[in-house]
Amino acid sequence: MKFSHERSGDTLVVNASGRVDGSNASDFLDSLQGTFDPGDQRIILNLSSLEYISSAGLRVLLMAAQNLDKQEKSLSVCSMTEAVGDVFRISGFDQIIDVFPSVEDAKQG
Amino acid sequence: MRRLLHLPHSTQHSQTSDVLPLIENVLNEMAEADDWPVTLTMRANLILEELMLNTLTHGDTSGLTEINLDLESESHALTIHVTDDGSPFNPLTDAPEPDLTLPLSERPIGGLGVYLVRTMGEEIEYRREDNRNHLKLVVRPES
Repeated sequence: MKFSHERSGDTLVVNASGRVDGSNASDFLDSLQGTFDPGDQRIILNLSSLEYISSAGLRVLLMAAQNLDKQEKSLSVCSMTEAVGDVFRISGFDQIIDVFPSVEDAKQG
Repeated sequence: MRRLLHLPHSTQHSQTSDVLPLIENVLNEMAEADDWPVTLTMRANLILEELMLNTLTHGDTSGLTEINLDLESESHALTIHVTDDGSPFNPLTDAPEPDLTLPLSERPIGGLGVYLVRTMGEEIEYRREDNRNHLKLVVRPES
């Protein structure tokens, strides 16, 4: 699992790649939240290179989304692969987290 | 293609961090050999991870000494047969159904794993026999 991020204004785009499973989900949450600055209002999680996510990964994603929601900030995801999108849909996560086809679409919100 | 995996368990061994890469490797091998669609590889990984996490980390694991996996792939369908000598657990009945209509702020953290197994798995059969859990299910790609 790897992270990179880029920031423009109050928007932070985090690119996550690799696998998020039961063995590294808590590291995933720490790494993700470690990229946040207090000034970030919108977090866009780019999952184009995320190969695998299990319920342990969904669990930490939900924790991050709820933490941001409490601070009246938003988390959206974009560019999911077919396989990750399948898991998202079955878990009903597409009902609680905004999903966009690309980073550009997510930025336009 | 068929693969059998024997996973002995003791307090020192077969932690989830050891078991998950092992399963990932076997599934990748099967996926390549039988040309699985990506959603089948994903679903198979996810279901096996949830089942292993359940058996290895939930409930009373003191009596658990082994998990056996029998994986058989045919025409883009994977049949999984898991047996273990851990405490009784029937994924069809022993976990509550999550409420997927709740808004973000009210969604409980966790409780999705067994639901994903029930939703992604087909023809699920469970029985407790000879002090073992026997679980059989079929995984297919997204329909």
